Amino acid sequence: MKVKTPYRTAGLAIASCLALTACMSSGADSDSGEDGTGPIKIGISLPLTGDFSEPGKGVQRGYEAWADYVNENGGLLGRDVELTILDDQSNADRVAADYEKLINSDGVDLVFGPFSTRLVVPAAQVAQDYGFLFVEPAGAAEEVFTQGFDNLFYAAPAIADDHYNYLADAIEAMPEDQRPKTAAYAAMDDPFAMGTAYGLKTRLEEMGVETVVDEVYPPNTTDFGSIAAKIADSDADVVVGGTQYQDAVNMIVALQQLGYQPTMAAFSTAPTNPEFPEAIGEETEGILSPTGYTPEADFPTNKEFVDFYTEQNGTPPAEDEANAWTTGQVVAAAVEAVGCADPDPECQAQLIDWLRENEVDTVVGPLTWDAEGRPQGAHLIQQYVDGEIRIVLPEEAKEADLIVEKPEW
Amino acid sequence: MSLFVQSLVLGILLGGLYALLAAGLTLYFGVMRVVMIAHSAFLILAAYLAWWFTDQTGLDPLLSLLVTVPLFFGMGVFMQRALISRLRPATLTMMSVLLTFSIALVIEGTLGFVFSGTQRRIRLDYGGANFEIAGANVAVVKLIAFGLAVVSLAALFLLMKKTQFGQALRATIQHPEAARLIGINTERVAGYGFGLGLATAAIGGTALALDSTFYPSLHWHWIGPLMAIIVVGGLGSIPGAAIAAMVLGMGQALLQIPLGTTWAQTFFYIALFATLMVRPQGFFGGRLAQRF
Repeated sequence: MKVKTPYRTAGLAIASCLALTACMSSGADSDSGEDGTGPIKIGISLPLTGDFSEPGKGVQRGYEAWADYVNENGGLLGRDVELTILDDQSNADRVAADYEKLINSDGVDLVFGPFSTRLVVPAAQVAQDYGFLFVEPAGAAEEVFTQGFDNLFYAAPAIADDHYNYLADAIEAMPEDQRPKTAAYAAMDDPFAMGTAYGLKTRLEEMGVETVVDEVYPPNTTDFGSIAAKIADSDADVVVGGTQYQDAVNMIVALQQLGYQPTMAAFSTAPTNPEFPEAIGEETEGILSPTGYTPEADFPTNKEFVDFYTEQNGTPPAEDEANAWTTGQVVAAAVEAVGCADPDPECQAQLIDWLRENEVDTVVGPLTWDAEGRPQGAHLIQQYVDGEIRIVLPEEAKEADLIVEKPEW
Repeated sequence: MSLFVQSLVLGILLGGLYALLAAGLTLYFGVMRVVMIAHSAFLILAAYLAWWFTDQTGLDPLLSLLVTVPLFFGMGVFMQRALISRLRPATLTMMSVLLTFSIALVIEGTLGFVFSGTQRRIRLDYGGANFEIAGANVAVVKLIAFGLAVVSLAALFLLMKKTQFGQALRATIQHPEAARLIGINTERVAGYGFGLGLATAAIGGTALALDSTFYPSLHWHWIGPLMAIIVVGGLGSIPGAAIAAMVLGMGQALLQIPLGTTWAQTFFYIALFATLMVRPQGFFGGRLAQRF
């Protein structure tokens, strides 16, 4: 018995490891509306639990605020809007089933997209099968636009690859001898995060900036010491992180711990998060980040949005909330212009065609799209200046001057 | 060359942390044949308590150990007496997986409810502080975590070897019936053993919180590698877990240089499969593990 037990128990330990990777589940809720001519019913599935629950809830707040705002201001085509939001648990299989259910059994009039590239693609496929217009708030990765969808529109200023465009332009505009010579890239193995870093990498390489480190790490990486060691050892002039929140914070601290001082440091997502300076402390000065939204932007509808949202929620909206609101604005513009909002393929086709040919004013600026649904804009570049995150690029929108040489962190 | 030295130093520090995080797991298994899936959830709980303590008082998170270590010890004793000891011995190992899986979910849910899913980090004045030894930078927080690991593992080892309680615990591990025959209250000893394991989770979680961000579901990222460490080291052997943690931590840091992060992480699972094929009882397991 003594000899056999370890075998059995070791097997059990493995089984439990596997059970864990198979992930956990929790309850889902759903509710459905009745078909009718009353309110315009809009079906949405969002990751309210699981990996993307934080941004998913942000998108939910944005959608709900938009619906409340529309209903308080006379509705859409004179009808109230009513949201049906399902929880897909951040699961790509569930999100497809959710949209099937929304369109087939709940009989919604319109659909809005979910959060994250990984959920947008399967959801858009279902919408395409039923001929529905599909405007989505969060599918920035290039692969969203290469699936052949002709019903999809991304309601944000730019796709991931273009996020750093203004920064790349600014570097290109420098005299050649002042440009950085070497760059290190570290990106999470995620279509969005990698897209942002590699978009900048392509541009910098074209300018002759040598790539000295190019690391991709899995999303569940807990230790950034080794990646930081590689970057520090290369002593690159520029460090570019294709990051989400926790990996950016951990990587920056790991780089600081190794005494590495780049002349330019750019990380996607994390620096625009209000928690970021709390986590990093005073060493944020000069850190760059692209952003699709700022409450301070003076686009025509933005002030109404910020005021309405702030009054309702107590805090100003962040990027996820803004993208959700933008989605609502884009669909509403099409509905008002075409004059219909029902699941009939003809109405949906008209909505799609209208968006192909027209520009929509939104809280993130005027949006137009190419044939695959890519928005034709660019992200703002923000930087920590005197402890505050300010817009530094492009020139016409800047709130502070770009710090070219990053202070020591 | 300097990258190699730097990676080696990082690997040693990482290995120490892994050893501390895995120690409790191997202890539960050694004492009671309990596969404790919730161990990493308790690590995250301790991290949150350390963060909350610092947030509320402004004091160093290490001081929270004065509260969390006894608290976790008490919780461990309670958990063993109230829940684990009620499982039928014949199916104990299997059922403990289910039981502790549910405990992990409860902890995760509670943390999310109380502290929200927002990522937290303890900001320390010395968070980025470092000094140089032989061309390698050593981060102060990583060194503190390593120090905590060395001190707690040494204390645990001495406790097992030199005290009467340790003797009773080892007797319970080796042969519960015989231990009972010579008058050891094996039930109580098992409870204390479980408490000790959980007390290491309090220290490990605090060490973890010094140097990284955490959020309620982070424990699922940790349980896999920690299980791999104790299987490679030999279930039930604390020195085995420490050595395996050190080897795997250094392996991960060094393989990172030529192979990149994804493959360096896969190293854990390759080591796990290789161990199960070649020596399923682990490299320090089997009879050796029974004796510590």
